[in-house]
Amino acid sequence: MSLLHKYGLHKYGWIAWTSARSHVAYLGEVIARTLFLIVILYIFLQLWRVTYSETQAQQLGGFTLAQMLWYLCITESMAISAPRVAQEVDQDVRTGALAVQLIRPMSYPLYRLWSSLGERCVRFSLNFAVSAVLAFLFVGAIPISLTGLFLFLIVLPIAFILDFLMMFLIGLGAFWLEDTTGLVLIYSRLLWLLGGLLIPLELFPESWQPILRNLPFATIIYAPARLFVHPTWNDAIAILLRQGVTLLILAIGVQWVYRIAVQRIHANGG
Amino acid sequence: MTAVQLAHLYKTFTFNRGWGRQRKQTEVTAVDHISLNVPEGQAIAFIGPNGAGKSTTIKMLTGILHPTAGTATVLGQVPWRDRRTLSRQIGVVFGQRSQLWYHLPPRDTLELLARIYDLDPQDYRKRREVLVERFGLSEFWSTPVRKLSLGQRMRAEVAASLLHSPQVVFLDEPTIGLDVLARQELRDLICEWNRQEGVTVFLTSHDTGDIERVAQRVVVINHGRIVLDAPVSQLRQQYLSEKILSVQFHTTILPFPILSGVRQLEATDYTLKLEIDTRLMPIEQVITQVLQAGSVADMAIEDPPLDAVIAHIYTQPAEERSP
Amino acid sequence: MEVKPMVIKAMSRLLNYLGLATAYIRLNWHAHLEYRGAFLSQLIAMLLNNLMWVAFWVLFFTRFPVLRGWTVQDVVTLWAIAAAGFGLAHAIYGNALQLATLITQGQLDVWMLYPRVLLPHLLLGRMNATSWGDLLFGYGVYLGFVHPDLVHFVWFVGLTTAIAALFVGFSVLTGSLSFYLGNASALSEQWRFAMLSFSTYPGTLFEGGIKLLLYTLIPAGFVAYLPIEALRSLSWIHAVWTIVGSIAVLGVGIGVFYHGLRRYESGNLMEMRG
Repeated sequence: MSLLHKYGLHKYGWIAWTSARSHVAYLGEVIARTLFLIVILYIFLQLWRVTYSETQAQQLGGFTLAQMLWYLCITESMAISAPRVAQEVDQDVRTGALAVQLIRPMSYPLYRLWSSLGERCVRFSLNFAVSAVLAFLFVGAIPISLTGLFLFLIVLPIAFILDFLMMFLIGLGAFWLEDTTGLVLIYSRLLWLLGGLLIPLELFPESWQPILRNLPFATIIYAPARLFVHPTWNDAIAILLRQGVTLLILAIGVQWVYRIAVQRIHANGG
Repeated sequence: MTAVQLAHLYKTFTFNRGWGRQRKQTEVTAVDHISLNVPEGQAIAFIGPNGAGKSTTIKMLTGILHPTAGTATVLGQVPWRDRRTLSRQIGVVFGQRSQLWYHLPPRDTLELLARIYDLDPQDYRKRREVLVERFGLSEFWSTPVRKLSLGQRMRAEVAASLLHSPQVVFLDEPTIGLDVLARQELRDLICEWNRQEGVTVFLTSHDTGDIERVAQRVVVINHGRIVLDAPVSQLRQQYLSEKILSVQFHTTILPFPILSGVRQLEATDYTLKLEIDTRLMPIEQVITQVLQAGSVADMAIEDPPLDAVIAHIYTQPAEERSP
Repeated sequence: MEVKPMVIKAMSRLLNYLGLATAYIRLNWHAHLEYRGAFLSQLIAMLLNNLMWVAFWVLFFTRFPVLRGWTVQDVVTLWAIAAAGFGLAHAIYGNALQLATLITQGQLDVWMLYPRVLLPHLLLGRMNATSWGDLLFGYGVYLGFVHPDLVHFVWFVGLTTAIAALFVGFSVLTGSLSFYLGNASALSEQWRFAMLSFSTYPGTLFEGGIKLLLYTLIPAGFVAYLPIEALRSLSWIHAVWTIVGSIAVLGVGIGVFYHGLRRYESGNLMEMRG
């Protein structure tokens, strides 16, 4: 209890919980999105089914067809469950809501972090539940071990946090830029393309792979999905290491930019 | 010549409620056998509370809605059958729905309307000049509509509806939301246009002031039926003869004398609200008395609200109502 | 001898309509230029989004050079045609995407009061900013990536025009659902999404029952297969079928719109207008 209080975890945990509950209302939207998932996963299924049969390969980049579809069903669920963090921070900066948040006994970045995590957990779980059913219907189950699930569940939240930090950083851009929607879009498209949303990194040109693996994009989308279909301790450790380094760099970056931003508020009176 | 003619115009709406077995259809009568003749050049006010059937009637007369039964003609044409040909001869303003382009100045909308109505460029320019001058559009001619005041916007709106020189103008709640001054300005403009150009004006409103100042004839409808069809002078005499006078004082007031035709609706230490029957007591005299009662801070003369007028009409015996 | 005056009349009507359309396009541009920053960023956003997809396909084809006979050129052409067609459709007829809202909010009223044929006039009323991004992307990527000769380019222009007609028809069709189902925007959105998704993947991927679906309920086959085949080998048959499909979808859209309009004119949609 005292530990919880010391780090304010009771407070932020509650924020995450409240945010999660408020997004259970999103259930209706998920049901409406089922059609979206059916269409997109069916298209992926056909694309890869044809590709596998034309190359006459059992495995491409180490993935069987079933593994490929399960991989895509995780990356797709990740992509469509992203909260609108950058847009919200941008709004808070422009409307002056951020200045108001500063007088509360609470860290604004942590508040945003936990509320985004609460939201994302709900949205991801719901989308993943639907797409897992679809993947099962299309290609059947793939072997999943308890260890694999355990590793996945460690890597996934870190991926969420990394994505949050990137979006938060872009949102803070509102202090200097007239419009951040362009940046948000560029980030999300880079994340999709270089993060392996549509195609795993193994199928990228050989020479790109080492670079892509070390970019933050891969640690956000590719890493958890890959670990889910191919769990090995070696990979998990390598991924966690990369995630750790990325987390450190991004956290320092956010801290630094945020401090400059807050100084601006104090200097300009918000 | 008759400009607008309605014969037993009747309109019901069917609503579906619920699903499956519980699905029920309910019918609501919006316009209940309305018959009416409007001669050319007349300004007629169509009044009634919200949901009385005013808008539905206008929508049928402009061809947007088809009636359930009955007929109507506007300038000799059946609106819902000849909508497109008729639209060249009528002008319509919906107070709640703008036809002006929100992000562009009124100038651009008028330019576009000239194209939509295939106006001859020279005629268009002449007509535009007249409208700009008469409606005082030049001061905001090049200002985007979103930056205009509501009064300016409505002036531009009405001017736009007159661009193709319609013979009949339908104005659905044109003064809604306007302040006193803008309301007065718009009423004067409509009135002027009616008198000088001979345009037939068909106006709906739930403001008794609009009717008194613009129309020559008034039709009161309630629950889809005509309750009263009379010259405005009669309405004024019989039902609008009462005014409400609200006064605020700086100091506590002396007891107010009892005058014939004056009823005290409300009296506190600093305020006084009187209902005055102007047929029995000229308003000037009451004001003189008020000034003697104490030091006046503020004073307002208002028309009785429409609800009161309609309630009043209902309490009259039927034979007195018909003109 | 009687045919001639009729032709002249039809021509002058068409010219008149083109003049009106030009006036609307000009006005829509003016309105969007009031916020040129936002307009430009929307436009660029769409360009970037589409470029991301092209980048994906280029990547895909570096690993797997041929997909059921299609090369990267064909898939990029597919993206170019689909984007240019969709863009052209809604850059001019932007209100096609707003139809559901116009219907449920009773805003058709204003459009019904003009002396013009309702649907073609009403569709001009708005321009979709991002569609200009699509249009620009479509032509840009076709010229820049595929390097067509003049003949192919002329075919491309013709085919994108046909696809544009198809998209207008499809948007009108899905939007007109609101005449029947009240606020059906969620449903029509899903339907449109399915159409767009299938329109942006090679039509050769699909077979069997789905193929039937792609030429009926979700007419993406007319976008993602026929025109590409037509352009690959300048095949008249494929081109004709593309045009037939476009006309059919446009016809169904117009038919459903005017059928639904009768419900609107009866006023029984009022329940959702509040």
